[in-house]
Order: sequence, then C-alpha cells, then structure tokens
Amino acid sequence: MRVKLFLLPAYLGIACSLLFAGLHCSHGQDNDSDVEAENEPLNDIKLIAQSAAIPSLKGESPFVLRESWWKGNLKPGNAKLIQIQLFRRNEYQFWMAVPDVDAGLNLNVYNSEGEMVESETVTFPETNVVSTIVRPKATGLYYVRVSLKTTIDKNQDWAVIYAYR
Amino acid sequence: MSRILLSVVACLGVTSAGISQSAPNKIDLSDPSLVFVDESVIPIPLEIFASLDKLGNQDWGQQVNEREVKLNMNRSRTAMLFGLVISEGFIAVQAKDKDAVKRIGREVLRLAQPLNVANEVEGHANAIMNTAGDGNWAQVRKELDKTRQTVLDEMKSNRDDDLVDLVSLGGWLGGTEALAAVLKSNYTVEGSDLLNQPELVGKLKSDFNSLPRRVRNGKLFNQVGKTLSHLESLMKIDGNGIISEGKVIEISVATSNLVQAIYES
Repeated sequence: MRVKLFLLPAYLGIACSLLFAGLHCSHGQDNDSDVEAENEPLNDIKLIAQSAAIPSLKGESPFVLRESWWKGNLKPGNAKLIQIQLFRRNEYQFWMAVPDVDAGLNLNVYNSEGEMVESETVTFPETNVVSTIVRPKATGLYYVRVSLKTTIDKNQDWAVIYAYR
Repeated sequence: MSRILLSVVACLGVTSAGISQSAPNKIDLSDPSLVFVDESVIPIPLEIFASLDKLGNQDWGQQVNEREVKLNMNRSRTAMLFGLVISEGFIAVQAKDKDAVKRIGREVLRLAQPLNVANEVEGHANAIMNTAGDGNWAQVRKELDKTRQTVLDEMKSNRDDDLVDLVSLGGWLGGTEALAAVLKSNYTVEGSDLLNQPELVGKLKSDFNSLPRRVRNGKLFNQVGKTLSHLESLMKIDGNGIISEGKVIEISVATSNLVQAIYES
C-alpha cells in the first residue's frame, strides 16, 4: 500500500484528535468484508476520507460530518450499494477512499427508481479518494453506489463517510 | 502482422475496460446480482431539522420536554430510553436550551450504566454538559452524535447486538415525534415531505420483528410493533405526492403515545 507522505500529518492530526476523544470506529459493514475486527479503534482508510473532508467542514456554511460510516472490500470492476434516507433541501457530501493511490473509484448516487441523480463531483490529486455532492429533489431512499475501476488488480478495502448541511 | 493484431486487441481491451469504468446512468434495483451493504444508517434528528429550518424558523423550544426518566430492570426499555434521550438532546440543541442539554447529559450518564457503557460514554456526557454551558452548539451536536455511535459500537462489542436496534429505534422515534409535532402546529406541504420515510420505517419494523422474543416481550413492545406498522402506512406520500395534514396529525399522536408509554412503563 502506498500512501502519499504529504497527507501523513493530516492523518496523524485526525488520529490524535480521535484518540483524544475516545472515538471508536462505527460503521455499517458489508457481508464479505474481511478487513478488520469489529472494534478496531482506528481505520487508516477512514482517515484518508476524513482528511479529504476537512475543507468541507470549515467555512461559513460547513457540512456537518456524521459519525456513522460504512466500510467493506471491493474487487476491481465490482460495485456495492449503500441505502440511505436523504431529505430534500439538504445537501449531502460523500467521500470514498481506498488505500492504493493507483486505484480509480466511482461514487454515484441513485434515487429509488434506480436513476443516477445529478451530482457535483469533487476531485483530489490522488485517485484513491473521490467525493460527490448531491442535492436531493425529494425526500426518500437513495442508493450510494461505490465501485472500483479495473486500473488495479488487487481488491481494496474501502470506507465511505458522509456529511450534511 | 501479429504486432498489429496485438495493438488492435490492446485497443479493444482499453475500450471495453473504459466502458466498464464508468457508472451506469440507471440501475435495475431488482437485479439479484446487485450487492447491498448490509447495515443502514439511521438519520439523526438534526439532519431532518436542518431541512425544515430552511423553510423558516421553527419553534423547537416547544418540543423540549422535561420527562422524568424512571429506570427499571428491563434493559430493552432502557435501550429505547437511551435513544429517546439522545434525540431529546438533539432537539434541545436545535432549541439552544442550555439547561435542557445539561440535564440530558446527566440522564445519558445514568442510562449508560445499566447498558454497561458508562465508561465509554462518560467523556462524551461531560463534554456535552461543558460545551452546552459555553453555548458551543456545534460541539454539543458532535458529542451527541459521538455518544450515540459510541454506545452502538460498545453494545455490539459487548454482544448486546439485540439492544443496538432498540437504541436506534428510540432515537428515530424521538426525532419523528418532534418533527411531526412541529409540522402539526405549522403544517406545510413542503415540510411534510420530510415524513416520507416508508422504506426506513419498514427497515426499523423488520429489524424490530427480527429481535428475539425475550428482548421484545410484554405490553410495551406489543405497542412498539403495532405503532411501527401503523406508521409504515402513514409515512409515505399519497398519489398527489404529499403527506396530508390529517396524516401528520396521526403520526404525531401515534409517536407521542408511544414515547409516553416508553417513559411511563
């Protein structure tokens, strides 16, 4: 696993603050996840997503990060769906991260009819993190689709976090 | 020749890989080959209140109730109470009611003991009380969400999985009660769509019905089951794409009766 060195201070900063707060990782875990024990106190992949989220959590109209998150394991070329209730008039931002910096990711949101909803993609210098912002037109159930492109051969553990405003 | 052929094959490979790289514009949700992540995340009340507040300021102070928390030996009820108290905390944050938040911080600590999560919750509960005193609402909100999640995680690691669903259910119920009460006193078609949660209620009901009988035994839990079925029929938009004022009133009454029963049983 290659992790960009310049991100390490951010990871460590978050790691320290989470340790200080006594936070334990909390998540929805998919069935075939073979990554970690249920209560591993910190998750490096989640930290990659969190460090990417920092700019959105600041400023005049910051997103509010939820403590709940999801994780699992994906094969290249495969996808998984996360179900989530979203509310009209809110904006939601999702971040997905995997460890391999050569990985390519798709993160898309679909409505209850299975149609992809309009979204704003946020890109980062590394392709192992991706983010999208959606403004649901109706309150209801939505599906966040996470997929791993075939740019790499190895399975990837993944984490998805989200925030609202 | 073979080089040309190889190049063509390589090009085809890239093209076909390129097609598979992008996400489809539409997915068939009934496709049995789709893989769903098992656990769903229950929205916290503030997420819903944030949307409602965009339609104008609401009187959240009216929804802050000082209910007495009486503990008994029924841990299933305690788990639901815990979720309810956390949701009250979110309502108090929305109302910016310092005294209520401090009281709720103390109740959180008291309820954490019979659930065997007191050690893990103590830091968060103290932070809730301290930051509320400072009027640092963003931090209080964060600590409440952390408290909720810490309790769920700890209960899972303590093999108290059955109670996890009840904490989540209590939290959702408390938020829905407050939302329905606000909408009842100030009904708008736009606002009422926040109660359009048929799949979420269905999931909560299914999780509840999957719990072992010993965990949901007794009159109170019969009422929980019946109320969830009733709410499932109410919390969905009609043919005109709205949830009527009549339905909002029914949701308000049903949730309020159940919350009262949980506190008083």
